[in-house]
Amino acid sequence: MPRLKQHPYIPTLIQQFADKQVGRRDFLRTATLLGMSAASAYGLVGRFDGLAGPVRAQEAKPKGGTLRLSTTVYDVKSPATASTTAHPLIYAQVVEHLTRTGADNVTRPHLLQSWSASADLKTWDLKIRPGIKWHSGRPFGADDVIWNLTRLLSDDAGSSMLGLMKGYMLNEVDTGQVDESGEKIIRHELWDTNAIEKVDDLTVRLKLKAPQLAVPEHLFHYPAVMLDPAEGGVFGPGANGTGAYTMTEIEVSRRAVLEAVPDYWGEGPYLDRIEFIDVGGNEQAIVNALASKQVDGAFQILPDFFPVLQRAEHLAYYEVTTADTSVTRMNVTHKPFDDPRVRLAFRLAIDPAKASAVTHGPFSTPAEHHHVSPIHPEYAKLAPWRRDPARAKALLAEAGYPDGVDVELTIQQNPPHHLRHATALAAMWKEAGIRAAIKVVPNAQYWNVWLTAPLGATVWAHRPLGVINLALAYRTGVPWNESSYTNPTFDRLLDEAESMPDPNVRREKMAEIEQLMQDDGPIVQTYWTKLFTFYDKRVVGFGMHPTYSVFCHELAIRQA
Amino acid sequence: MISFILRRLAQFLVTLLVASFLLFAVTEFSPGNVASKILGPYAVQSQVDLLYDKLDLGAPLLERYGQWLGTLLGLSENRLGDPAIGLGLDDPRGVRYFGNLGYSLMLKEPVVDVLAQRIGHTVALAGWAIGFIVPISLVLGVMSGINAGRPLDRGISGVTVALTSLPEFVTAVVLLLLFSAVLGWLPGTSTLTQGDRWSGASQMVLPVSVLVIASASYVTRIVRASVADTLKRPFVRTARLKGLAPQRVILQHVLRNALIAPLTVILLQVNWILTGVVVVEAIFAYPGIGSLLLKAALFGDIYVVQALTLLALAVAVGTQFVGDVAYMLLDPKIRLR
Amino acid sequence: MAELGLSGPQGLALGRLPLLGAVLRSRAATLGFAIVAAWAVVAALAPWLAPYDPTIIDFAAAADPTPSAQHLLGTDSVGRDLLSRIIWGARTTYAVVPLSIGSAFLLGISAGMLAGYYGGWLDHLVSRLGDVMLAFPALVLYIILITAVGPSMLNIVIAVTLAYAPGVSRLARSQVLALRHQDYVKAAEARGEPPLYIMVMEILPNARGPLIVDLCLRAGYTVILIGTLGFLGLGLPPPTPDWGGMVVEGAPLLPVYWHMAVLPCLAITSVVIGCNLMADGLRETQA
Repeated sequence: MPRLKQHPYIPTLIQQFADKQVGRRDFLRTATLLGMSAASAYGLVGRFDGLAGPVRAQEAKPKGGTLRLSTTVYDVKSPATASTTAHPLIYAQVVEHLTRTGADNVTRPHLLQSWSASADLKTWDLKIRPGIKWHSGRPFGADDVIWNLTRLLSDDAGSSMLGLMKGYMLNEVDTGQVDESGEKIIRHELWDTNAIEKVDDLTVRLKLKAPQLAVPEHLFHYPAVMLDPAEGGVFGPGANGTGAYTMTEIEVSRRAVLEAVPDYWGEGPYLDRIEFIDVGGNEQAIVNALASKQVDGAFQILPDFFPVLQRAEHLAYYEVTTADTSVTRMNVTHKPFDDPRVRLAFRLAIDPAKASAVTHGPFSTPAEHHHVSPIHPEYAKLAPWRRDPARAKALLAEAGYPDGVDVELTIQQNPPHHLRHATALAAMWKEAGIRAAIKVVPNAQYWNVWLTAPLGATVWAHRPLGVINLALAYRTGVPWNESSYTNPTFDRLLDEAESMPDPNVRREKMAEIEQLMQDDGPIVQTYWTKLFTFYDKRVVGFGMHPTYSVFCHELAIRQA
Repeated sequence: MISFILRRLAQFLVTLLVASFLLFAVTEFSPGNVASKILGPYAVQSQVDLLYDKLDLGAPLLERYGQWLGTLLGLSENRLGDPAIGLGLDDPRGVRYFGNLGYSLMLKEPVVDVLAQRIGHTVALAGWAIGFIVPISLVLGVMSGINAGRPLDRGISGVTVALTSLPEFVTAVVLLLLFSAVLGWLPGTSTLTQGDRWSGASQMVLPVSVLVIASASYVTRIVRASVADTLKRPFVRTARLKGLAPQRVILQHVLRNALIAPLTVILLQVNWILTGVVVVEAIFAYPGIGSLLLKAALFGDIYVVQALTLLALAVAVGTQFVGDVAYMLLDPKIRLR
Repeated sequence: MAELGLSGPQGLALGRLPLLGAVLRSRAATLGFAIVAAWAVVAALAPWLAPYDPTIIDFAAAADPTPSAQHLLGTDSVGRDLLSRIIWGARTTYAVVPLSIGSAFLLGISAGMLAGYYGGWLDHLVSRLGDVMLAFPALVLYIILITAVGPSMLNIVIAVTLAYAPGVSRLARSQVLALRHQDYVKAAEARGEPPLYIMVMEILPNARGPLIVDLCLRAGYTVILIGTLGFLGLGLPPPTPDWGGMVVEGAPLLPVYWHMAVLPCLAITSVVIGCNLMADGLRETQA
């Protein structure tokens, strides 16, 4: 195969953008995904619409100092199985991703220097940035990447990367065995022995079973950090990495300490030391700690506390519009949710705008029950959602529930807006004859039942493309398919959408998917949140990221 | 005397044993539950069943309790640490030692280590609280009691009734609002981490205050009732009639008699503080065993809950024992069975 | 909350005096009784007194939750009428507290009286079991139950019953020991009355003074306990209006909308004060 240069679709894309067939945001995202550097993409955009790239405040960053951040300090021994966005906040400062999706939702190479995709989007060449060294002094190279990717895609690692890449990297293998409950034990293997191939010491080639556009964004999924193969996938104090920091101490659920390492290959580090402070599950305590200057910043602040912190003069406000949401998902293996008419009735009874306003006030925008956000490049606008409790009632009757249904909605205890949301849903459902009892469970207990509860509200983090969430949560048989949703039409449409580089064509496909989610899908979805937080004004270089990423090597702190 | 203490000591041990059995029975009553709690949310049924067999959870409750007690006393091994089970739990002390409380499922560390990191903080919090509770309530209680019915007593009694009626979380929220949010005199959390701009002492003020307010107001009322009661007793009247100066009467006769009853109550406050710290530590993010207990319960970390309850039991039974002995020493008239 | 040391076998003066009479003899007890009874009326008449359904959301009011003509005490952060929620919250409190205190006293009094009346091994058994149970504080007991089976109203009742019964039992036992050699008990025994009759009809009415004082105090603690559980997020499942839960929901907004947290705090505190005043007043009348 010849060396991959510029993706053949890029000239067309530039033309489409020039002709205003493709918006600025779509252009940036698609062009960078196809291998154009962010700088050139922004440059092109600037030429056409006169806008410069993201304006980076070029404030001088002082060196030295300690930053204290409030966050949950989880056990991070196994980054491969990390299950929240708070996990990588600690380990991703030490062990890094191949790519990075910025706050502008544009993905750029990080440990990679560049990538390039073949015309059919089935061959991806990942070029590693030369000159990167592990803390131990060994050069970082193709073998490290291959070891990590192979491990992340193995059943034994138990990583959610498997679900993300399964469609284009893996085959299912029936082991012929069954588990105690009579289910077949399915294992996975790379679809081709050369699926992950070493081209040279600094180049890895991925060969895909099916076309996929979002490979670089998948490489920024939070478990996909590059660990030293010699350490066998275990992370801990002193673990080897390529990052600007090394972890010196961790006391789970209390604190973790990072210290700067010299000779980082990229920008910074400026700070000598970063301390992550866990104040327990109590959101009020986070606010108190910020207000008393006991921490310099917080992972996230809930809307409930905005009015209070807004008054603190030493704090700066940061927000970002995201596709972060919570879906009230109906598990289709349970009655009455096995009937699509019931699922539709649950949606018809709800006015997302009202639920959104009650839950987050001005800090959210209404969603449309299909889990694709207006900020996603492939978002297709459907006809406005109309609430129709009478039709919902009729549908329930048609499905055999003329007297309505009684259901139990399981939600997490924290943050408290889950309860506000559930209360709003229950109030609106009532009109359609849906009697919902709200069951609040401690957060940890929720994760015991999130895959099995008949009706539950699950938080889904922002992801830069709409198809990523759809693939994680609704494709048949993937590990995070919490609603047990199975729909061959949906799977086919999603496969097709994932293989289309042209945003306009992809958008048509997305319209079909979104419509299908509204008509048949397993979720009630009412809002997209803005994420925000407060940092001390002395902190320089911070920006709220839609997946809560904090790139600590870019941060600095002014001495008071 | 010695035989009395020995008899009480034996009772103390039996009580502890029975209580620990009840604790075990409640937390590990459902064996399937135990296995799935150990494995956590992402486990599949086959893994749960496998662990169920490996840990022999199908054995009768009494047998499992024996095993558990054996592990605790260092007579038998803790099977959870067996690498063959593959939970990645490891204890540098080995699998068999005295005081083996198992592993924290939440923190993936031996419970003994988890406790060691935190118990000191709680002892400090409780110690400071008791250090203030006892003198404050004695002084206020005696002042109120000897002035029973007068305005001073009315004032003290009114305030203490109101304060005992305030739940601690209310006191905590109000104090935080006032001293941290509005005045900015004190920090809003007490994580006691290194590098905090607030001193450790300043971080202690509010948590200790909440405990003191809740408990001292209660003890004050007990002391007041006891003093007022004693003053009505015939021997006080006799002493007064004999012409002893009122001050001497109070110091020598009344207090000696009046403070015996409150002694038990003060000892009971030690137990109460173990409950009190759960609320206070949770609100102030204080790194002690109270916040740990709450977190562990919410997580379903049975071994930490067991260990902390065991600790609370030992303290409760221990104070009962100390109370009985002290009671007897102070008041020779009392001869308990 | 705190364990009791207050109620020993003090006065027997309350005797067979009608309870209301005893209450009215003390100003403190009268005031306490008035508060507790007023809330009881509110709880009983909640459906008629509350202007709104406590779970209904007023989407317009959610934007401005401060008190208004439509919502006299304002709304909570979701837009539910605060007055209605406080009124219905009284119902929650007045359901859980009597239930748990009632079962604690039923168990405690039965065990204590049997132990005191029969003595011997039964007495030993009850006392030792009581010691064991006294070692578990109510909150810890509830936390164990949560770890084992999860939070629920039944578990609150069980925890309170198990935590308070031993103290009640001790008190009942000491009362029986003090009373069982009284003439009227001996007379009944001489008449050949069965022991159950003697305990229930002769001893209990005369022992009830200190028990009622104790009941008032424990009722107050239980109100606090339920509030605390609600505050810690371990309480009753929403959207049941629950005062403790209302405080925790309103607390973040305290500096901005103080009414959301302060009003339910006042409700909790007033009931507890009522219970404590009744206990204090009744003790005075006995002394």
